[in-house]
Amino acid sequence: MKLSCDQEKLSKGLGIVGRAVATRTTLPITNNVLLATEQSRLKLAATNLEIAISYWLGAKVEEEGAITIPARLLTDFINALPNERIDISLSPRTRTLELKCARFEGRINGVEAEEFPPIPTIGDGVATKIEPEALRLAIAQVAFAAATEETRPVLTGVKAEFDGDTLTLAAADGFRLAVHQAPLATPVAERTEVIIPARALSELGRLLTEQEEPVEITINPQRSQVLFRLKDVEMVSQLIQGAFPNYNQLIPQSYSTRAEMSLSDLAKAARTASIFAREGSAIVRLQIMPGEETAPGRVVLSARAEEVGDNVGEIDALVEGEESKIAFNSKYLSDVLAVLRQDRVALETTSPSSPGVIRPVGAENYIHVVMPMFVQW
Amino acid sequence: MWQVVGHEKAVGLLQRSLKGEKLSHAYLFVGPRHVGKMTLAINLAQALNCTGEEKPCGGCPQCLRIAARKHADVHVVELDGRTEIGIDQIREMQHFASLKPFEGRHRVFIIDRAERLSHEASNCLLKTLEEPPQNVKLVLLAANERLLLPTVLSRCQRLELRPLPIAMVEEALIHRWRVVPERARILARLSSGCLGWAVSATEDEQLLHHRNERLASLIRLASGGMDERFAYAAQLANQFSQDRESVNGVLSLWLVWWHDLMLVKGGSGDFTANVDQEETLLSEAKRYSLTQIRGFMQSLRQAMAQLEQNANPRLVLEVLMFSIPKGKEG
Repeated sequence: MKLSCDQEKLSKGLGIVGRAVATRTTLPITNNVLLATEQSRLKLAATNLEIAISYWLGAKVEEEGAITIPARLLTDFINALPNERIDISLSPRTRTLELKCARFEGRINGVEAEEFPPIPTIGDGVATKIEPEALRLAIAQVAFAAATEETRPVLTGVKAEFDGDTLTLAAADGFRLAVHQAPLATPVAERTEVIIPARALSELGRLLTEQEEPVEITINPQRSQVLFRLKDVEMVSQLIQGAFPNYNQLIPQSYSTRAEMSLSDLAKAARTASIFAREGSAIVRLQIMPGEETAPGRVVLSARAEEVGDNVGEIDALVEGEESKIAFNSKYLSDVLAVLRQDRVALETTSPSSPGVIRPVGAENYIHVVMPMFVQW
Repeated sequence: MWQVVGHEKAVGLLQRSLKGEKLSHAYLFVGPRHVGKMTLAINLAQALNCTGEEKPCGGCPQCLRIAARKHADVHVVELDGRTEIGIDQIREMQHFASLKPFEGRHRVFIIDRAERLSHEASNCLLKTLEEPPQNVKLVLLAANERLLLPTVLSRCQRLELRPLPIAMVEEALIHRWRVVPERARILARLSSGCLGWAVSATEDEQLLHHRNERLASLIRLASGGMDERFAYAAQLANQFSQDRESVNGVLSLWLVWWHDLMLVKGGSGDFTANVDQEETLLSEAKRYSLTQIRGFMQSLRQAMAQLEQNANPRLVLEVLMFSIPKGKEG
């Protein structure tokens, strides 16, 4: 293997695939990054056996070859080099990678590429395309609601339903549920449902920020892996096995009170209440009061920390239905408000003990359900 | 081809279950150390993922990667230098168990020395053990199943691996590992039917050397004075606080030696384990009566049991030193 490439590009590529390098591992080689020449490009790849990220960068290849190198060491070394051309050569006998850049050079011992777990390639299967912005929004509005604890592995994933020209993402952790529908750029041939690890989607969301062209999504015929193809980057994620709970049952079909208010007002009031909530039991109480002839409707947010203090904040709202009360975990309320893009937001409730529904006003494709907390009013 | 030597009964059962697709989701392989539990477990993992005709073929990429312990779907959970297998290791295992296989068809988790599972780890394991996700198989390996929680035991299909016939070990050493017959004969006898030990001894000269050194000092002890014996007991007790396993090894070695003495005394010298020590065995056997030999073997077993029950190691070992029988001079 003999090639030369740009320090800046290589550094960027290592940063991208570095997200998939294993940290704790039963297979030590997954701490390495794979370097392989592919025609006139250099392929970088890493996997933690849950996700695999490959990145291609332009390089002047003189001799083909492949090797795996400890990721941390290589990345730190490349990042420390000046922004100039790097000449890379591999001595196959000793498996030592030699790097030369300006007046610096380094030698790193590697492990044969054959020992690396095969980076999955997905040829056929269910395929579709989606606009990067639509996918990014869907991930941002859903992935945070997935469980982080492994007691029920399916809940650490995001259910993805591909049906016709719609992709529905849903995540739940037992206390909240987020469902987002995004349009697909090309419809799928058959209805497909899979569970993708939320962590993998968060990584994908990160990669999508620089993407402009549509993202290709392919699910392999065994339904064990999903591939996301971006410009110069491919990410493959293992899918979670098991049955995702039927979340449609959890979405309340009706409401007795509906309050519509400005998102920024509500977010601000929620943030204020969270200052006291975090000192106590993390509870934010919401009181929804319908308007009267002379006064508009209001939503009162309050929080209390025993022996510390309390606060009350009030915002204007368009209230429909009767007066109602509901209490939420302050984190769950702030989390959902942070991912909404619309100017106005609606809160729908039935009783203090039934779930509250938060919807952006003017966007039909997102719904968020939060379980209330039981408090003495 | 199943790589494991012997254990026809266990292999036969697994083969039939594989054919009928009636494999249990969790197995417990019980047998002494080095008897072939890990080899059998690896073979089972190969059979489950093999792409060849005769599963496990041993030659397809899947089989090769599993044999080299590089397969992404075959995880071995082991002690890793710690004193017990912790709950974090089980949680990590469960995380991977929830994902579909990476490169093969089945995920196989092998828990080596399952008797060292911590209490929390065992309890954490129960749910997966009872109802693992699809395409997930668990294999627990244990030398001492009494140390496993009954709740763990009852969730596994148990397969017992017994020590192999000495002749089989000898033959395997000669034909598969290309050991010179003379050496193979000694190693096979010394292995007490545990092929794994014999194989590691062929690769590591030190192993046999250490063993002989230890044995020599134990034999010396029998004719030595009390000072010497007590010094040895103190040293052993010290060692025990750092490495229980090795002290247990010393005592087992001693037990085998006295068993050999009993065999020689009883006129069954052909079956001794320490074939390389024939002369010493003969002369030592003359010094003791059968009752004395039997008595000391009992004391040895008792000491080993007491050590396992966390008795004061120094006291146990000193008492043991007292019970070395007094041999006839000459």
